[in-house]
Amino acid sequence: MKIFHEIYSNYFRIASEILKFPEITRDSKNKIISELGFTETNAHIPDDLWGLLQKNQYGNYIPVIKNKPVSILTGIQKRWLMAKLESPEILLFLEKNTIDSLKKRLGNVKPLYSEKHFRYTDRFSDGDDFSDMNYQKNFRKIVSAVKKHEVTEINFVSRNNKNLKGLYIPLKIQYSPKNNRFRILAFSVQKYRTSVINIGRITDIKNTGMIFTENISVERYFNEHKCHEPVTVRVSTGRNTTERFFMEFAPYEKRTEYDSETGVCMVQLWYDRQDETELLIRLLSYGAMLEIVSPPDFRRKAKERIDRQYELLHKVM
Amino acid sequence: MGGFSELVKNFDKTRHYIRDFFIYGFKVRGDFERKSKRTYDDEKRRIESWLSDYMKYDNSQHRKKVAISLDSGCISENPLYNAYYSKSFTPNDIKLHFFIIDTLIDGNFMSLKEILLKMDKSYNELFEMQTVRKKLLEYVEEGIILTKKVKKTSYFRLSPDTVGDFTEKYEGLADAVKFFSETQKFGVIGNSILKSAGIRNDIFVTKHNYIVHTLEDIIISEIIEAIENKKYISVVNFRNKDKTINNIIPLQIMSSLETGRRYLAMYVDKRFTSLRLDFTEKIITGNICDYYDEIYSQYMNCCKYCFNASFGPWKNYLKTETVTIDFFIDEINEKYIIERLEREKRNGILEKTGNNYFRLTIKTLDSNELIPWIRTFTGRIISLKSSNADVTERFCNDIRQLKNVIYKDGEL
Repeated sequence: MKIFHEIYSNYFRIASEILKFPEITRDSKNKIISELGFTETNAHIPDDLWGLLQKNQYGNYIPVIKNKPVSILTGIQKRWLMAKLESPEILLFLEKNTIDSLKKRLGNVKPLYSEKHFRYTDRFSDGDDFSDMNYQKNFRKIVSAVKKHEVTEINFVSRNNKNLKGLYIPLKIQYSPKNNRFRILAFSVQKYRTSVINIGRITDIKNTGMIFTENISVERYFNEHKCHEPVTVRVSTGRNTTERFFMEFAPYEKRTEYDSETGVCMVQLWYDRQDETELLIRLLSYGAMLEIVSPPDFRRKAKERIDRQYELLHKVM
Repeated sequence: MGGFSELVKNFDKTRHYIRDFFIYGFKVRGDFERKSKRTYDDEKRRIESWLSDYMKYDNSQHRKKVAISLDSGCISENPLYNAYYSKSFTPNDIKLHFFIIDTLIDGNFMSLKEILLKMDKSYNELFEMQTVRKKLLEYVEEGIILTKKVKKTSYFRLSPDTVGDFTEKYEGLADAVKFFSETQKFGVIGNSILKSAGIRNDIFVTKHNYIVHTLEDIIISEIIEAIENKKYISVVNFRNKDKTINNIIPLQIMSSLETGRRYLAMYVDKRFTSLRLDFTEKIITGNICDYYDEIYSQYMNCCKYCFNASFGPWKNYLKTETVTIDFFIDEINEKYIIERLEREKRNGILEKTGNNYFRLTIKTLDSNELIPWIRTFTGRIISLKSSNADVTERFCNDIRQLKNVIYKDGEL
C-alpha cells in the first residue's frame, strides 16, 4: 500500500470529475481542469482524456465508460481511519457507539500506526481534556456553529478568572498541537471585532439559531491580529543556527536576505500580535547567535530581559 | 512542452527541493549543487505549478531567489500535499483504472477472462492479459479490489466500500477527517479522503503548524512497518548518500513541537541515538531483530531522561546529569510563569524555596539540550547549576555576550 500512488493524483481526480458528466462541453471540461489541476495542467491533459472521452456530433464530449466512476476507500485510507478511531481527539467528533460501529465496518484492518510509535518531546502537559463530556458537547456545538455561521451565546472564564458572556460567531476552530488545545477564532457581535476563546474555558454555550448574514471571514481575524510591522532579526551561521532557526520558524510568513560574504541572514517575520511574548522568548532562546534588530519596541523588550538577567547573574553567580 | 511534465515518478527527487524552497527561502540556482541546472529548472517549474499561490521571488541581489512563503497558521489545507498528488502514470494506467472500476461496478466476482471480454465489448479495446492481471493484483494490494480463488481461477470484484459510504453515513466522521487531515501523522491520507469525497476543510486551522513534515510521511510509514515487525532497517541520508547506516533498530518517531525537528529514535552500534527525519532519503527494511523487545524496554527507560532527542554526549553516554535552576518570579503578578514551568518541565521537580523564589531540578541525559529552553526564561534566572559545568558557563557567557556586544547601551 502506497501513499504516493497515481490513484490519488490530481489528474485521476480530474478525470473522475469529468467522467461524471454524461455529456460535457470543452469549456466545462477545461473549467474542471483549471479548478482541480495545477497551474499548467490544462496543457498536459489530452483532449480525449487518454481515450476516456469521445466527441459527439455536437462537438461535446461523452465518456467511454458506462457508469459514473466511484471513489473506493483504499486500504491505506482504511488503515488511517482505523488509527484515528483510537486517537483521543476522535471523541470530540463521534459518539462511542459510532466509533464501535465504524470499527466493525472496517473489520480486521490493521491501524496504520499506533500512538506509541510517536513521542512529542515538548508537548505542554496541561492540554485540554478531550474525554470530558462537557468539553465534547461544547466542541460539537461550535463545529455546528462554524459550519452554519450561527450566532452563539458563550459563557467562559477569562485568563484573569472573570466570568464573561457574549454573542459570538465562531469563524474557525484553531488547534495547537504544542498546547494540545482548541480555541475558537470568533467574531464578537457586540464588540464588532474578532477575538479568541479557549474551548477549555467555556462553561456554557447555546446555539441561538440566528444566522449571521454579513459576510465575515476568518481573514478578518488574521488581518486584525497581524503585526503592524514585522520583526527583523539577524541570524548568525555558527552552531548550525541558520538551519535550526529556519526549521523552527518555518510556520511563519517570512522574508529572508542572506549575505554570502558575511554569512549573515536578515529575516523578517510576520506574527500574530497576541503571540508577541511567545515569539520574543523563542527568539531569546538563540542567545547571542541571534539579534533582534527591529522594531525598536520589540528590541527594547528583549534588551530589558537581557539587562535584568545580567544583573541577576552578576549579583548571585 | 519540451518534455516537461508536472508529474514525477520519484517522490524523493522533489522532496528536497520543496524543503529547501520552503524552509530557507533564500537559495538561488547555484545553491542546488546536487543536480544539473536543467534538473533545477524542471523541479522549480514543477513546484511553481503545484504551489503557484505561495511562490515568492526576489531579485534584490541580482540573483533570483525562490521561496515558498506562507503563514501556515492561516491555511485550511496544506499546499505541500500537492507533491503527493503528482505521481506520473501511463495512458494505460489511467484507462485501465476507469475501465476496471466500470467493469466491476455491479459488485459481482469476475474472472480475468470475463473482465477482458467485457472490456473488449464495452470499450472496443483489447488489452494484454498480463497487463490487466498486473493492474488487478496491484489494485488488490491497494485495497480497491477484492479477490478470491476457486480451484485454480482467481476472481475479482470491486470493494463495496465507497468513500461516500463512510463520510455521509457516519455522523461526525467527515468533520473528524477535516481535522485529522491537517495534523501530523499522515494528514495527507485524510486529505485524499476529503478530495475523493469532494469535501473541503471549512472548520479548522492549525497553530504551530509544521506543514513541511508531510514530506516525511512517506518514509515514516516504512519505519512504522519495520517497528511493528521488529525489523532492522538501513538508512540513506540526503547529505551523505555514500554512507548508508546499516543494522539500525528503529524504535520511535520523536517530534519537537517547538523546534519542528523530528527524529527517528534508534539503536545502532550498541548505542541509542537519533536521526533527523528530514535528512533521511530512503529506508531499506532488513531482517527481524531477535532481541527487539529487550532493546525497546531499555529505550523506554532511557526516554524518561531525554529532554529532547539526545541520549547524551559520546563520553557520558546514558549518564544522567542534574540541572538546578533558581528563578525569581513575582508569584502574584506572574503566576503564568509558574504555570509555564509546570507544563514544560518534563520530569523536572518544581519547588517553592521562598517568597517569589522557585527551584527547578531536572535530571537529563544531556543538559546541553536544556540551554535553549532555559534562555526563554531570560530575566528571571537567579542561578543555574549543573553537574555538567559547561552548561552553566555557556549560559553565563551567552548573557555577557548579549549584554556587552549585541545589545549595547544606547543602541536601541
